[in-house]
Parts: sequence; C-alpha cells; structure tokens
Amino acid sequence: MAENTQPDYDKPGDEGEERIKVICLGDSAVGKSKLVERFLMDGYKPQQLSTFALTLFTHTTEVDGKKVTVDFWDTAGQERFNSMHPSYYHQAQACILVFDCTRKITYKNLPEWLKDLRTYRPEIPCLCAANKIDEDMSMTQKTFAFAKKHSMPFYFVSAADGTNVVKLFRDSIRAALAYKHNSTDFMDEIMKELENFELDPKYNSKLNQDGTQRNGKDSPDEEDVDREAKDDKNNTTDTGQS
Amino acid sequence: MADTLQLLKCGVRFEPPTLVLSYKDWKSGKLRRRSMPLRNFNKNTGIDRIIEDLNSNPRHSRFIRLLSSAQLQRLLTIVKDKLSGLSLEASIARNNAMDTINPEENLNRVDPETLQRKKLIMDTSFEQKRKKPGDPDFQYNVEVDFETAVVETSGWDSEESDMDF
Ligand SMILES: Nc1nc2c(ncn2[C@@H]2O[C@H](COP(=O)(O)OP(=O)(O)O)[C@@H](O)[C@H]2O)c(=O)[nH]1
Ligand SMILES: [Mg+2]
Repeated sequence: MAENTQPDYDKPGDEGEERIKVICLGDSAVGKSKLVERFLMDGYKPQQLSTFALTLFTHTTEVDGKKVTVDFWDTAGQERFNSMHPSYYHQAQACILVFDCTRKITYKNLPEWLKDLRTYRPEIPCLCAANKIDEDMSMTQKTFAFAKKHSMPFYFVSAADGTNVVKLFRDSIRAALAYKHNSTDFMDEIMKELENFELDPKYNSKLNQDGTQRNGKDSPDEEDVDREAKDDKNNTTDTGQS
Repeated sequence: MADTLQLLKCGVRFEPPTLVLSYKDWKSGKLRRRSMPLRNFNKNTGIDRIIEDLNSNPRHSRFIRLLSSAQLQRLLTIVKDKLSGLSLEASIARNNAMDTINPEENLNRVDPETLQRKKLIMDTSFEQKRKKPGDPDFQYNVEVDFETAVVETSGWDSEESDMDF
C-alpha cells in the first residue's frame, strides 16, 4: 500500500514542522522534471518510491517564519498511461500543471489532466505553467484561455534560463499551505499578488487577457500581504540520503 | 585542457560493427579519421551498455565526447537495427522519425525508446539555452513580468468548440 511508503501529509513532520505535498502534472517531455530540478538546483538527489513510478523531491523552507517541509512529486514516466496512480494524488495540497509552449498538443491535453486531478482532488489549488519560453519568446505575448477559464494563476517559465521558476514554486507552496489551513481564498491571494504587478494604470487595459487575472479588477482590495516563502536553496534537505 | 579536436563527420560501418569519426586536430592542423570497433555488439545488446563501454574506454572517450548523446544514440541504433535484420532504408526512416519533434504528436503515446530519443533532441537546445550556476549571468530567482507586452491570441484555443476549455 502507498501508506507504507508515503509520508502522512496531514500530520506534522519529525520536528513538528508542517508537511505539504505538491504534485506536477502534464504531458511527457513538457519539462516537469527539469522545472523541479531548476527550483531545487543541481546536485539534488531525489527519493525514488519504487512501489510506484514516481519521484519525490523533499525541500525544506520557511514561510512566515515557520519551517515547512515540502515534497514535490514528479512522475517517472507514468504520463505514458495518460493518468496517474491514485496514490500520486493522495493528500496533495497543490498542483503545478505544465504544458510545453513549443508543442500545441501538450496544451490541448491540459483538460484531460485537469479532469484526472479533479477526480481525486476536486478542490486543491492548481497553477498553470507554459514552459520552454526560451525557445520562442513571442509566446509570452500571446494569450492562452485555459488558465483563465479555470481561474488558475498562469506563468510563463523556462527551466533552461530559470525565468519565473522560483516564483511558480514559491506560489505553489503558499497555495498548498493556504489550502491546508482551510483558507477559502487561497487562489484569490495569488491572484491579488499578480494583480499587484498591474497597479500602474497604463497596464490595466491588459487585465484579463492572459489568464492571470480572475476577474479583471483594477486594483486589489486588500493590502499586499508579505507572505513571501523565504526560499533558500541551501536550505534544501535530502531525505533520500537519510 | 581545451580540446583541439573538431568533429567533421560521423558514421558507422556494419562489418564488423564500427563507429567512424572524421575530425580535424587543430594542434597539428591535420584531418584524421578514427575507427572504433563495437565489440560484442549483437541484436540483444543494450545500447546504454555500449555507450558506457565507449565512454570508459581510455582510447575512445576523447573522441566519443565529440558526439552529442543524440548523435551517438542514433548511430548505435542504426547498427543495432542492422544486426536485427532491418534494412538500412527502414532504419534511417525510423531513426529520422525518432529524431523529429512534431508539435502535434502526443508523446504520452510513444514507446519509451522514441520518447528517450525525442528528449535527447530536446536536450540539445535545452543545453544551449541553459543558464547554470557559475555562468556570469546566472541568477537563482529570475522574475519577469510579461504582462506589459502587446498581447495577441495564441490561436491554440480557437479551432475546436473546446467543451473542456
Ligand atoms: N529549451 C528548453 N528545453 C526544456 C526546458 N525544460 C525542459 N526542456 C527539455 O525538454 C525535455 C523534457 O524535459 P523533462 O523535464 O524530462 O520533461 P518531463 O517528461 O515533463 O519530466 C528535456 O529534453 C529537456 O531538455 C526549457 O525550459 N527550455
Ligand atoms: Mg519527468
């Protein structure tokens, strides 16, 4: 059973710290593994859960002064079966949904992945990322309706040159924590963060066109809350070795 | 030590199975050819093992390094196809298909060998675009806000009725 090998994400970790689970989804070869590796940086040895075709990257960070242990779950080729083993979704608190902006088919398959996700985790926050923008920067000037339609925050990223990778993962950590703490507005928080970039009135005309804004409000109706996940790559721990 | 060798051509011979590289040695200015016999290679041999052997062979590794992983994998696959009785034409066609990225092709449905080959092709451009620690312009956190740019539709949403979208 999965329970023998999976940590229990509803319980605190060994040192009483918060534990969360963030999963990556998307087609084969969109760059899910490269994105996780870029966030955690080189030299990181993941833990293989041999029972299932998946890889687990454990990362320790601090959010609002509190220690948090985050497990990023990555597939190890299970995408080939077009859906994941239920244990992959078990207790996940956030999902990063990735497509490859050089391959349209991977965008077209997003609804399938979302459907699979929602079968097991109807409510968890999901963040959408268009990877490989380094291959074609003109893609960053285009709109992709999927994320907006499903009220997901949207990120243009590149695992190769690092663009927005850290932001994507830090946001996913915050979303997972907010979900875990039963906050009803976890997504709103991220949406507002994104809107804060747009405070300059001359940018407001662009609101709502790229899926990063939920409802195209001109300004946030709340103060900018400093909830930055204080990530530090030196903080990364490797449970695979212990 | 900077390598003075520049790869010009690579190919294979079938009898006996041999990897052949022609290269220029800039130190001497000479054009040279290097033949590397692929010993104990039969239709059941794993290509990964052959690659390991070549890389760990002190006489060959310097030349093997001149090839990209994608090139090496391709050449050895052509030899293996031949050993398995496939015609050269059929093998080249099959290898060309594996080495081509088609944006409409669903890579969830291809066999593991094809997926690995396509990833090797993708790796080549990934490595070109890559910024890694130690590079002068490397930064861990790179945040770019693209929303200020002029926005047009991707065209990826339009053609179907998009029930799910
Ligand atoms: N140019 C470029 N290539 C990438 C990027 N991310 C991944 N790749 C390439 O895409 C291929 C698939 O990446 P991988 O992480 O294995 O995808 P996964 O199957 O979704 O885990 C690899 O060959 C990478 O070299 C990126 O940001 N830019
Ligand atoms: Mg992967």
